[in-house]
Amino acid sequence: METTDNKVAAKMTLVGRLFHHLGLFFMTRTIGQQVCLFCRAIASLFSKTRSFKTDSRNIILQTFFTGVEIFPILFVVATLFGAVVIVEVMTLMGKMGFDDVVGNLMVVVIIRELGPILTAFLIAGRSGSSLTTYVGSMVINSEVDALATMGVDPIRYLVMPGLIGGSIATLVMTIFFSASAIGAGFVVTKLAIFLTGNALNLQLTWHYLSTEILGAISMTDFVLIVVKPLIFGCIITTNACYQALDIAHDVRQVPKATSRSVIKSFLYIVCADVVLSLFYFFDYFNELSRII
Amino acid sequence: MQEALRIEDLHLTYRGLSGTAFSKPGAYGYFDTARHDNEPELISGADLSLKSGETLCIGGPSGQGKSALLRVIAGLARPSAGRIFYFGEYIPPERLTALEVAKRQVGLVFQNGALISNLRVRDNIALPLRYHKKGTPAEIEEKINMAMDLMRVRDSANMFPHQLSVGMQKRVAIARSWAMDPMLLLMDEPTAGLDNYNRRNLLPLIDNMRTLFKTSIIIITHDLMMAKELGCNLCFLHQKKLTEPHDFDYWLNANNDISKVLFRDLRTSG
Repeated sequence: METTDNKVAAKMTLVGRLFHHLGLFFMTRTIGQQVCLFCRAIASLFSKTRSFKTDSRNIILQTFFTGVEIFPILFVVATLFGAVVIVEVMTLMGKMGFDDVVGNLMVVVIIRELGPILTAFLIAGRSGSSLTTYVGSMVINSEVDALATMGVDPIRYLVMPGLIGGSIATLVMTIFFSASAIGAGFVVTKLAIFLTGNALNLQLTWHYLSTEILGAISMTDFVLIVVKPLIFGCIITTNACYQALDIAHDVRQVPKATSRSVIKSFLYIVCADVVLSLFYFFDYFNELSRII
Repeated sequence: MQEALRIEDLHLTYRGLSGTAFSKPGAYGYFDTARHDNEPELISGADLSLKSGETLCIGGPSGQGKSALLRVIAGLARPSAGRIFYFGEYIPPERLTALEVAKRQVGLVFQNGALISNLRVRDNIALPLRYHKKGTPAEIEEKINMAMDLMRVRDSANMFPHQLSVGMQKRVAIARSWAMDPMLLLMDEPTAGLDNYNRRNLLPLIDNMRTLFKTSIIIITHDLMMAKELGCNLCFLHQKKLTEPHDFDYWLNANNDISKVLFRDLRTSG
C-alpha cells in the first residue's frame, strides 16, 4: 500500500519535495514541534475568538503565579549571591592589583550571565514544573479533550497565557534579581564587614560600587537584559507545556514529564545563553580590531 | 431531510485511538502514516448515516470500540481510512481535528463528565459560551441558569466539580454541552451512574432536545431499554462493523447472534 507521504511527494516538483522533506524532518523532531507550539501559541493571540479582557486577566494571573510567589526565595538567593560575588571580586582583584576591572566583573557575573540564568533556573524549577503538572493532569483527566470538543483551543486557553505571563514574569524577576544582588548584596556585605571588624580589609562604599558598575554597563547589556529573560521565559513555558501536552493518557507519565520539563529547560536555557553570548563576542572582536 | 452525519467505510487502529496530541503540529498526525500492514483494527469498515433530528442508540458489549467510534466522530481519534461527512460537508483527514469538528456544532458528553476541575459549576457551563462570545454577559447568564435548571444542578452552581457526585458531574457535563446549542450531540453512556429517578428525568430532556431544537443525537449505551423509551433506532458494533439501525422491537424478535446474546434477558422478562 502506498503511503500518504509518497502520494503527496509524487505530485511535487523537485524544490517542493525538498522543502516537503525538510518540513517533515523538522516536524518529527522535538525541537521542531516545540517551535511549532510556540508559533501556534503566539498566533492564537490573534485568533477570531480573542477577547482582551479574558486574555489580560489570564495573563496577569499567570504572571502573578510565576513571579510573585517565587519572589521571597529569589530575593534571598539574589542577596546572598550578590554578597558573595562582591566579597570575592573585591578581595581577589584587590590582591592582584586589578582594581579597575571590579565593575566589569560584577556586570559580567551578575547582570549578564548568572543573574538571568539563576532566575530562569528558579522559575523553571518552580513555575515550569507546576505548569507541566497542571496541564498534564488536565490531559490525564481528558479535560483538554473536553476543551477541544467544546471548540476551546487548548493552546489558546492553556499555553498562551502561560507563555506570555511567564515571559513577563521572568523579565521582571531578572531585573529584581540583578537589583537585589547589587543593592541588598551591598548591604549584606557592609554588614559582614561591620560584624567581622573588616577582617578582609575591604574599602567598600556605595559610591565606589555604583560608579564602577555604571561605568562598565554597555548598550548591549541594556538590550540583552530585556531580550535574554524574555527568551528564557518563552523557552521555559513552551517546554513545560509541550512536555505536558505530549503525555499520552498514562498517569505515570506526569512525573516523568515534569522532570523532563525542568531538566530540558535547564539544557535549552544554557544553549540559548551560549548563542546569545555571541553578541558579546562580536562586541569584543570590534573592540579588539579598534585597539589593533 | 438533511443528513447530519454520514460515515463511509471507517477504519480505526489502536494507534489511531489516542489521536494527535496537542503538542504536535496539526499536520503531524496526517503525515505520520508509517502504516504497518495487518495492524490490529478496532473498527474495520463501519458505515453509518444519521438524518437531521434523528436519534440513534449504539449498543453492544463493552470493549467493542463504541466509545472509540464516538471519539472518531468528535475528531479526537484519527481513523486510518474512511470518510466522515458532517451535515453533508466532508472534512479531509489532514484537517480532521476536534477543534475543526467543534466548529460544526458537534458536542460530546464524556463518560466521566470531564469538567474543568478548577472552575465552579457555573463557570464550567459558561466557559465555552464566554470563549465563543455567544451573546452579552446577561444573555450568557440567562443561558447558564436555563441549562442548570434543565439538569437541576442550580443548587450546586457555586461548587467545584470534586464536591459533586459522579452523577451530578455528568448532569453538569450534559448541561454544558446543551448550552452550546449543538446540532449533533454525542453522548457517551449518559445514564451510567445515574439513579433511576434522574435517568427517568434525563430521557424527556433528550426527547425535548430532539423535538424542540431538532438536535441529532447519538447515544452510546448499555441501557437498551433507553432505545425503547426514546422510540429511536438501535444499532450495534458487531464484528468490528456497525449493523443496520432498526427499532427496539425488531431486535427483540429477530433471530440473529446479537439478539440472542443481548436481548435474552429482556425477552424472558417480557
